[in-house]
Amino acid sequence: MATVSPRHSASPAGPASVPPADSQSADQRAVRDNAADPAEQESVGEGESLPMSGLRVIDVGTFLAGPYAASILGEFGAEILKVEHPVAGDPMRRFGTASKRHDATLAWLSEGRNKKSVTLDLRQREGVELFLKLVAKSDVLIENFRPGTMEEWGLGWEVLQKANPGLVMLRVSGYGQTGPYRRRSGFAHIAHGFAGLSYLAGFPGETPVVPGTAPLGDYLSSLYGAIGILIALRHREATGEGQIIDIGIYEAVFRQMDEIAAAYGLFGKVREREGAGSFVAVPHGHFRTVDDKWVAIACTTDKMFERFAAVMGQPALAAADRYGPQRQRLAARDEVNRLVIAWVGSLTREEVMRRCIDGEVPVGKVNSIADIFKDAHFQARGNLARLKEEGLGEVVIPGVVPTLSATPGRIANLGPPLGNATYEILRELLGLSAQEIKRLRQHKII
Amino acid sequence: MSTSDSDEACLPLAGIRVIDAATVIAAPYSASILGEFGADVLKVENPKGGDPMRHFGTATRRKDTLAWLSEARNKRSVTLDLHLPEGVDLFKQLIAKADVLCENFRPGTLEKWGLGWDVLHEINPGLIMLRVTGYGQSGPYRDRPGFARVAHAVGGIAFLSGMPRGTPVTPGSTTLGDYLTGLYGCIGILMALRHRQRTGQGQYIDAALYESVFRCTDELAPAYGMFGQVRERHGPTHNDFACPHGHFPTKDDGKWVAISCVTDKLFERLAIAMGRPELAAPHVYGDQKTRLENRHDVNEIVRDWCGSLHREELLNRCFAAGAPAGPLNSIADIFGDRQFHSRRNLLAIDEPDIGETVIVPSVLPRLSKTPGRIKHLGPRLGEHTEEVLGDLLGLGADEIAALRAKRVI
Repeated sequence: MATVSPRHSASPAGPASVPPADSQSADQRAVRDNAADPAEQESVGEGESLPMSGLRVIDVGTFLAGPYAASILGEFGAEILKVEHPVAGDPMRRFGTASKRHDATLAWLSEGRNKKSVTLDLRQREGVELFLKLVAKSDVLIENFRPGTMEEWGLGWEVLQKANPGLVMLRVSGYGQTGPYRRRSGFAHIAHGFAGLSYLAGFPGETPVVPGTAPLGDYLSSLYGAIGILIALRHREATGEGQIIDIGIYEAVFRQMDEIAAAYGLFGKVREREGAGSFVAVPHGHFRTVDDKWVAIACTTDKMFERFAAVMGQPALAAADRYGPQRQRLAARDEVNRLVIAWVGSLTREEVMRRCIDGEVPVGKVNSIADIFKDAHFQARGNLARLKEEGLGEVVIPGVVPTLSATPGRIANLGPPLGNATYEILRELLGLSAQEIKRLRQHKII
Repeated sequence: MSTSDSDEACLPLAGIRVIDAATVIAAPYSASILGEFGADVLKVENPKGGDPMRHFGTATRRKDTLAWLSEARNKRSVTLDLHLPEGVDLFKQLIAKADVLCENFRPGTLEKWGLGWDVLHEINPGLIMLRVTGYGQSGPYRDRPGFARVAHAVGGIAFLSGMPRGTPVTPGSTTLGDYLTGLYGCIGILMALRHRQRTGQGQYIDAALYESVFRCTDELAPAYGMFGQVRERHGPTHNDFACPHGHFPTKDDGKWVAISCVTDKLFERLAIAMGRPELAAPHVYGDQKTRLENRHDVNEIVRDWCGSLHREELLNRCFAAGAPAGPLNSIADIFGDRQFHSRRNLLAIDEPDIGETVIVPSVLPRLSKTPGRIKHLGPRLGEHTEEVLGDLLGLGADEIAALRAKRVI
């Protein structure tokens, strides 16, 4: 476990008193913890050990839609140059709860992980020139300006490709690079609405609520973006050719909705808000316990309902002529739910959990973040990474997902201070002199 | 329209063979994406009924449901009973000829059949194995059954969905966590393939549904860790970071809009769209901090304005001013939308044995040089068993008939 500087150190999630569940998880944690220790990285030669090492990514996006794709690549070894405006930086630095560091909110600290910050004003000619030099030395470019913006700055695809024919470029915008709405400003919240997800969140006929978290669409579009980049890199290896990945946030949201398009297309079914339930199965929802907490129960198959009926002490409910078949449960949705509401409502959450787990019924607590921090499984899996930074204290952030057995990702640093790597990159990568860099700084180009 | 013209051999994942022995959406969705970009995906299913996904949701004339037709796109179905020794043996032969295995059995199940990682790794040292379960391969809950519904709850997003202090609701779609995990799984596979190219070394990816959900919760964890802030249900507005930021009803009954002013600049544009630019003055509601402190007043102003206009008129004003707004579309709205049409987000595919056209979401992500494609919808159970056992494993017609008689396939 690392406990000392350089600047950041990571320790395994959770108090030492919680033992790992088995040896496998202990091994994985050990690997992660070592990898998270900067001193250790040098000695094991991270350069060769991580799958994305050797890859240089320029992330000139703002907020999360696109930049999160860079975060993932960075977790697995890519060098991420976060190119930001010299004065303002990424607005994500001011978005959400402030930390003690004046240029960083908590969301920035977490999602700016592993990046290096390089300031560059793309509204100035010299900024654009330097940017093209960076592009020439990079593999991937990630941007999320409104379509047409980069072109206005003289940084359209033709120019970029000329600077680097193998460039892979991820472009994320609210509506994509084409189509009638391409110039509209789009954020995840708008995309959730436009793609039909928000319409489904809430009780039938009542107020549509935010579907979970506000930036969900940003994460989704970044996940598709990361996949696109990885596929495009394969193609580049085979052919030398770069290409563009064009993602509208709304598309990434829309892609998640199982049969909704097919069912409307074929049968004219318009799915409506389903409250805490689902059209596919009963019981399948959220239920309140006697201690005013909530559990989720999901009986997707008849087998699971049979188990659940036994757990409720009413095995007869699962008979073929009662609620055994899903079709009958769906037809008698309210009755079945009433039975479940009554049973769950008579017990504490701990008791419901215990009985359902013993009976192998799919159940889970509807966790608040406070519940999550106490949870033994989150701790055992290392889902809460704890990083210390001077002046900030300990910052707890979500750990790396996905978990790879031979080449696990790692968090080397939190979201960087604005411009922390400008000098290093301009000096070492682009070969500018100290004097030149000073001049650029005076002109606020960097 | 159903298939693009790109030469199959030129697709970026051509030559990669994926065995998808998983069920429902999560791990299979990783395979679906790989298949869209040219990988050969063999869907290994139990001969008795196959993947339960075939029964999930609305049935078609072919019995297989719409979700199956859409999400099993491009796959070849091979039946194989892994409960039987001969099934296990054939599976091992397939593994020897594959690059990737996707599975989502409960931890220990494959091991019980003699198909644990050690065995598979020995058969094929370069094998990449995606393992998806509700809780992952380690930790105290590893043996619990897990579904996306439960993962949304455990991962913290169900708690946030719903009216403040009201019943937590489904966060839009019950399958969200499955898709999220499929995406992370796919990323894991592609990175592992990259590592294999350099080293020859295979590995496994240990994915948990709840982890994919939890990973998408912005500052939820650090805000609790540092300040003990417990985020509660948002309702229709999410004003922890920005205001106005929420859903507002328009003059048209049941038609809502989303408005999202994450920066001051965007609020200024909204104020212009509202015909009240003075609201964005520094001493009024010009900065985010002031708006957040006065969120009730700001929301009320926006709500009143939205309620006074038809949705279309309201949105036109917002778009003209560059203010961030959009409709809360139903699927019916989506089918009529110009942007969805222009971007070809909906693909109409003719399936002869269904007798009708099936409309499915098209391939994501969109690549300029090597776009993915949908060759065909979800296959019939066992549609490709003979072709795969014959061509790939070199079994003769007699052997295949014998296996069928013994219900191994």
